[in-house]
Amino acid sequence: MKHLGKARGLIAIGAIAVLVAACSSSATTAPATPAPATAAPATAAPVTAAPVTAAPVTAAPATAAPSAAAMFTIGYSNGGGVGNGFREEQMCTAKAEALASGQVSGLTMTSRNTDAAGQLQDIRDLIAKGVNAIVFNPNDPKALNPALAEAAAAGIKTIAVDAYVTDPNTWNLYNNQIEYAYLGAKWLFEQMGGKGNVYYMRGLAGHPADTDRDKGFKKALAEYPGIKVLPNADGVATGWDPATATKLINDWIASGQYDNTQGIWTSGMDSMIVDAIKASGKKYVPIVGADLGAFVKQLLDPTNYPGLKGAAVTNTAAVGGAGVNMALKLLNGQTPTADPTASQPNTILLKPILAENVTDAGKATLTSWQTVPGLNPTWPLGIQIPDWTTFTPAQAVACKGPGE
Amino acid sequence: MSATAAPVGAVRARPADALASWLRRNSWMLGLVVLLAALLVFTKFIQPRYGVTGVQGLAISVLPLALAAVAQAIVVMSGGIDLSIGSIMALVNVVGAVLMANQSEQFGVVAVLACLVLGLVLGAINGSLIVFTRVPDIVVTLAMSFVWAGCALLVIATPGGGSAKWLMELVSGSFGSEWVPKAAVALILVVAVVWLPVRRTRFGLSLYAIGSNRLAAFRSGVAVGRTRILAYMLMGFFAALAGLSVTASTGIGTPVPGPYTLMSVAAVVLGGVSLAGGRGGVFGPIVAVVILQIIRTDMTFLSIDSNLATVFQGVILIGVVMIGSLIQIRRGRA
Repeated sequence: MKHLGKARGLIAIGAIAVLVAACSSSATTAPATPAPATAAPATAAPVTAAPVTAAPVTAAPATAAPSAAAMFTIGYSNGGGVGNGFREEQMCTAKAEALASGQVSGLTMTSRNTDAAGQLQDIRDLIAKGVNAIVFNPNDPKALNPALAEAAAAGIKTIAVDAYVTDPNTWNLYNNQIEYAYLGAKWLFEQMGGKGNVYYMRGLAGHPADTDRDKGFKKALAEYPGIKVLPNADGVATGWDPATATKLINDWIASGQYDNTQGIWTSGMDSMIVDAIKASGKKYVPIVGADLGAFVKQLLDPTNYPGLKGAAVTNTAAVGGAGVNMALKLLNGQTPTADPTASQPNTILLKPILAENVTDAGKATLTSWQTVPGLNPTWPLGIQIPDWTTFTPAQAVACKGPGE
Repeated sequence: MSATAAPVGAVRARPADALASWLRRNSWMLGLVVLLAALLVFTKFIQPRYGVTGVQGLAISVLPLALAAVAQAIVVMSGGIDLSIGSIMALVNVVGAVLMANQSEQFGVVAVLACLVLGLVLGAINGSLIVFTRVPDIVVTLAMSFVWAGCALLVIATPGGGSAKWLMELVSGSFGSEWVPKAAVALILVVAVVWLPVRRTRFGLSLYAIGSNRLAAFRSGVAVGRTRILAYMLMGFFAALAGLSVTASTGIGTPVPGPYTLMSVAAVVLGGVSLAGGRGGVFGPIVAVVILQIIRTDMTFLSIDSNLATVFQGVILIGVVMIGSLIQIRRGRA
């Protein structure tokens, strides 16, 4: 009898395992190692400032004249970060772009937390499905190359978004992180009058985006010799973790170092820094962050945050939509102009923009980012990219592809 | 093919009933093959272009999980379970990739052999801890899954390394006819060469015996502890092969374990191996893995929402296992 009980227990465990495995969610695959793709919260932000004004509600969505242009099928592969706002926004903008273009008859999405081997399978499935182009957020720069070569042999266009791959036939499209850091740092050093101490709060050590941002920060630093970096030239790493960032700033305030600080540069862990300073009752120093909802809200709230000066730099998640847009450009025979400064050939780097709360123009931009109704609070605010997206913000929020 | 159940069962079979009894013993396996065939037909129906490319892709993507399922099946048949398979795979994967990076093709052979030995050692550590500390398998291997995953990250913190060319060519492309993917040949060969002979040895018999009834096995003179450790070593060997197959298919080492551990348990259950031990074989789980992969491929072909697809996958899995169990229970009563 006892034996039977044990057997039942084991079967119950087996049943749970079956379900959990089938749902293959992140439990066992926590994104501990950042594939260059996953750009944590820091990588979150809008690029465009001209959202709703251009074509408000009238931009008839589904009826976008499909008859004129050729119709294509597109596959989209996401290999990680399921449930992460940045990744979700990527996929929803991809759907929105496919719908808005009127040239996509079917968009097939595969999205799960998996390793490079799993994403290889997803891409091969899309090849077997016979899509015209595959847009994907790569789990690794090199590991997917065998399947990408098979895609090229089958005449399928491939576009990597959010990170690059080394496959020579694939186009890469991602945010220019060097420029991201340079823009913010330059604004900050200007605000500080070109002299003083800046607390340098970086992202995740070793992550490609963090390495690139460090280059941009150092580039701006070289232009302002009066600026000194604290606690040392390499700054501190928040790991893009809100709790770590909060602890770092509280230690900084408690140790009295904050009183000797004239500016703070963050890699996207921004709103918690502002809140910590507020809680300490100290005066705000100029701060740079990303275009995340909470931070932008603080910047536009002089009642609760009097004297807060800051700038948000965009790090758009609309690269998913931009990838679909590029796929259609390639399928229609256009060749985009590659950016010669990128590490790989066939690469487009998306330029970030900066909006601050010091000038009226800046405030207007920040306000325009907030005007998308129904936007998920974990999504970066900028959901359009000039030249690379054609959907309306409402279409991105609706998250519906062709035929849905 | 699914291994002859406990030796006790074989005694009753009379020559005249041989076929009937073979069918009965392998009914689960036959059911799986029928299900697989039906799925292939269904796939061809929804995607008329499904052909050589699809089969090749299927074979390569099945390989790591199929080897992991074989590893899991061996431990489960011996009455245990190993939740560190995914981590062992990751560790072997990165060790192999680091050893082979920028090295000669010949050195690749040494690296592969070293990886297989590493697998045996890791399995031996898991097994010894279980046998000597008497802590339940599930606890030890769950704990060791963190240890091995941590070790993998110590070896290499971010994806990198390389692979010998011959290893990558071993699993890509086809063998003779283009319908026979090398990955499938490699899988069948390695399982046939290692598992089939082992099953016929004294150890193979002991493996089923301790899984079936540990006390009875002990009283019949089976060295229970040694057999369990050997079972875990064999698991480590196949998990190492699975890890190497990841190196071979991606050409790099990835320190974060993929979703292999729980998928291997799912495949073992679907493959007709009793989680209580003592019953089942390794070919059922392999067919089960192919079925699981085809279901995912079909979901992609049907453009089903990814989140919904994972729900469907789970429902199909539990549904198949439940129906199978109900049929067995009913037959047991009849």
